[in-house]
Amino acid sequence: MGGMFNSLRSGGGSGSTERLRVLADEELMQLVYRSKADAFEVIYDRHADAAYSLAYRICAQRALAEDVVQEAFLSLWRSRARYERDRGSVRTWLLGIVHNRSIDALRRRAVRDRGIVHDEGLQERVAAPERTDLDVARREEAREIRDALEELPDEQSRVIELAYFGGMTHVQIASMLDTPVGTVKGRMRLGLAKMRMALGDPAEVVQ
Amino acid sequence: MSVEDSHIDRELCGDNAAPYVLGALTDYEHEAFRLHLDSCAVCREEVAALQVVASALPAVAPQLNAGPELKRRVMASVHEDVGSSEAEERALSARSRRGPRLAWLQWRPLLASGALAAAAVVIAVLAIFSGGGGSGGARVIHAEVIPAHARASLRVSGGHGQLDISGMPQTPAQRVYEVWIKRSGGPQPTDALFTVTAKGDATVGVPGSLNGVKVVMVTTEPLGGSKVPTSSPVIVARLS
Repeated sequence: MGGMFNSLRSGGGSGSTERLRVLADEELMQLVYRSKADAFEVIYDRHADAAYSLAYRICAQRALAEDVVQEAFLSLWRSRARYERDRGSVRTWLLGIVHNRSIDALRRRAVRDRGIVHDEGLQERVAAPERTDLDVARREEAREIRDALEELPDEQSRVIELAYFGGMTHVQIASMLDTPVGTVKGRMRLGLAKMRMALGDPAEVVQ
Repeated sequence: MSVEDSHIDRELCGDNAAPYVLGALTDYEHEAFRLHLDSCAVCREEVAALQVVASALPAVAPQLNAGPELKRRVMASVHEDVGSSEAEERALSARSRRGPRLAWLQWRPLLASGALAAAAVVIAVLAIFSGGGGSGGARVIHAEVIPAHARASLRVSGGHGQLDISGMPQTPAQRVYEVWIKRSGGPQPTDALFTVTAKGDATVGVPGSLNGVKVVMVTTEPLGGSKVPTSSPVIVARLS
């Protein structure tokens, strides 16, 4: 990687950013490790929409979702020395941070209407059409994952959504649905297992 | 582990893998299951299998555009960090040119006291070193932490702070960690409430500027946080 990074290291401005866009996330993180803001900007451009979408799905408030995404990216930037590529992709790491922080924010702000995607501002914030082959591939993978979730029996998809996007514990879900805790856990397990079957091996499916 | 024990374990943990990967166990259950994973290959395998599905779930969210204003905010903070890091590096470089002996002389009276415990506290609380190797030149302050096996440091850059925490226990049910700052008076609450990952890790930004802040600390508080601490600090980072 030496030659490539040496040539990039001396660069700056938008021209440099354009050249950085051909690099994989893991290569960019090596530059981010060296405090290269332009490499981080490419990471941001690649994953900001996914991060914001997840945060908004959980928080259901634009300002709160934006705060979460900002915190998550700054956490990624400031924790760059701790990134280990063997432990997963940059996207998975980032979205894990976004998920945890969204749930924390949800509990902190005691948002009661969680899980409901408000219409607030959505029209002008809908993601732009696909620009690259990677965008197209991601959209297709996302559709497959949505299909896999929607094809589950309602009681299984519901407990998964309440847990992952609603930030509810299995105890809270059991109470809300007036269903035994063991049943809720079983539905989660069955639902995830069926999704795994439907998706084949979705490891790192959305990179 | 006997076959009987293994069977008991399997019964106890069998249905916890799914809520674990979805983040739906209670704090106590999460911590217990995390410990259990160390000794149960069956559960580790199940978690690994289900985790890949859970990691794909963000794609289910309707895809939205983050908007240019958010990018501007994020990148402004990043550039501010880079600028302040470079300034701090220059200051550190100038300081090092004056020679390392000065630093030793500054600490000598404290070390000369001979009290090992005091020295340990000084090292733990005030160990401030340059952030080579990727910390971007930020000032890193090691904090006092309870329990002793856990670690926490306060990274200060551009007048802002971030706590990097590892090995902390899960908070009890219905409680969260809360970050506090102290200037001249008593502790002031922040809106930084957090829990830790299954491994006890967390990265938490300290809201606002650290100008004039002498201590950053963390306590365990009821959900929603408190206006005054209701428990003893478990993390204390002293800035002065």
